[in-house]
Amino acid sequence: MLSHLLKLMWNKRRANSMIFLEILLAFIVLFGVYGFIAYNLDRYSSPLGFSYEHSVGVRLDFEDDLDSLVVLDLQERIRTELLDLPEVEAATWIGPVNPFGGSTWHTGNEIDGQLISTQMMFVDNHFAETAEVTLADGRWFTEEDLLAKYRPMIVNQEFKDRYFPGVASVVDSIFDFSGSEHIIVGMTGDFKYKSNFAENYPLSFFPQADRLDQNEPFEMMILRLQPNSLAQVEESIYKLLVDNTKNPDVVIWDMAKDRRKANRSIVIPMVILIVISAFLLINIALGLFGVLFTQINRRRAEIGLRKAMGATPGQVTAQFILEVVLVTGAGLLVGTFFAIQVPFLELLPIPGKFFYFGIGAAILTIVLIVLLCAFIPSRQAAGLHPADVLHEG
Amino acid sequence: MTAASTTSPTSKTPAGTAMIEISNVSKAYRTDTIETLALQKMNLTVASGEFLSIMGPSGCGKSTLLNIMGLIDEPTEGTVSLAGHKITSYNGTDIARFRNEQLGFIFQSFHLINDLSVVDNVELPLLYRKVGSRERRRLSLEALEHVGLSNRATHFPNQLSGGQKQRVAIARAIVGRPNIILADEPTGNLDSHMGDEIMDILLKLNSELGTTIVMVTHDERMARKTHRLVRLSDGERVS
Repeated sequence: MLSHLLKLMWNKRRANSMIFLEILLAFIVLFGVYGFIAYNLDRYSSPLGFSYEHSVGVRLDFEDDLDSLVVLDLQERIRTELLDLPEVEAATWIGPVNPFGGSTWHTGNEIDGQLISTQMMFVDNHFAETAEVTLADGRWFTEEDLLAKYRPMIVNQEFKDRYFPGVASVVDSIFDFSGSEHIIVGMTGDFKYKSNFAENYPLSFFPQADRLDQNEPFEMMILRLQPNSLAQVEESIYKLLVDNTKNPDVVIWDMAKDRRKANRSIVIPMVILIVISAFLLINIALGLFGVLFTQINRRRAEIGLRKAMGATPGQVTAQFILEVVLVTGAGLLVGTFFAIQVPFLELLPIPGKFFYFGIGAAILTIVLIVLLCAFIPSRQAAGLHPADVLHEG
Repeated sequence: MTAASTTSPTSKTPAGTAMIEISNVSKAYRTDTIETLALQKMNLTVASGEFLSIMGPSGCGKSTLLNIMGLIDEPTEGTVSLAGHKITSYNGTDIARFRNEQLGFIFQSFHLINDLSVVDNVELPLLYRKVGSRERRRLSLEALEHVGLSNRATHFPNQLSGGQKQRVAIARAIVGRPNIILADEPTGNLDSHMGDEIMDILLKLNSELGTTIVMVTHDERMARKTHRLVRLSDGERVS
């Protein structure tokens, strides 16, 4: 029966070309959407690496002509006064790259013939405690480290895995970054400061000293507050900061809201793609329904003939379902051939497993829809009475 | 009792015994408001190896009778026996198998599948008998040889004349070696020359293979060539 149907479908290839193209297009779109969603859900499920809950970000503005020692004193005074507020549990000064802020700082150095490219964050020695960063190796830097021969730096796991995969630990390694020698004192696990969907890119944390060299002191803070205390403490924080800086230009924001905003850059395209895919699938389902009903109406005499020749209703149903499955199979085969090139030739910087998942999920979805859509018209075909339809032709 | 009993497709009922028995068969078509009686208390016996023709004006019930004999329509009343089997059910797998093994159909409008080659069209009944592809091909070419069309095996129906199409339909009807062939105006769409050719083939099948043939026709000349002629009028047998 299969060879008979293959012959029949081949001879009807022109009539089936539209279904073939529809399936091929749907497969390519679904493959991309599933791959994209799977990749982003995987990213989302990996740890952020720090805590943002009950935390606020603060931006203020120091006078430009302040001496760096004065700035350091002022920073320490502000921090101490903030911690005196009962609602403030922890406070840390950070540089221009803040979590969920949307900015990125990047540097690259050639070390031992290898180009070490890393994103950078500038933080103080209270960052790990405030943002509740868990270290996978070593420790966070301390005030003593800032006075030592080498400037301290922290890297993330991705930094080590990408550049020093064979090394047991990178702690105590010394690197020349941005013109000064740094010693790695600790290593974090995952650290995704851009959003939950961000990729783990090699990341290094540097102390304020690296910014003070450029006369760019830290002008941002992260404050961890007691749960649900922002509304009552916001005014006190604002007043405290304005009093200290003599500048009303102070911005306080909820980091949880910033995170949602940062995630939107992925969530919105993802929702749009899901909606488009859903419409596409509905379109395919309706199209298949229409095509099958039309085909069955055109082939009523053939159905009657087959039944007169001994086809059972089950065989008629199976024939029509199999016909659609064969055209679908051809579309999926061609689609898979093209889709598999993406991971095979590494056309995109995303691990291949997500594309293979995309291929599998797209095939499964399309086959399910095709079977569902083919079933009702095929059953209808099987119910035709040969005596009625054979005299129509 | 269901229609199905495993009968060898090539087994023949001894000549002279009843191959088809129609007893008190009536067929009524009902709508919400009208009931039309297509057949009324019809009795007819066709002997094994007989070539019977049925004639009558349009709408007299000829095709209905043929459909009932072919188990593709169900009588409202009465009983049908084919090849010694009383038919009680007109649905399901058993009846499909019975049709496949015992009956061959020839239609006025040929009913060939245009997307299949001649030989693939002929293979159709064997497909539902789960015959292997090589054997199917061999039997189909043999059937085509029988109707003188083996040189057209790979052609498609739209490349054939009307007479050739009907010969393909005959090859399809005989490929499974059925006991009974039911032909519904097989020469109706053909000119007299082609009609004669088709009639000759049917007569040859009847005499050489002993196949029981029931033919509905409007052509008195064709009907006279058969063993017996039955005339219908208004759903009743008149001769």
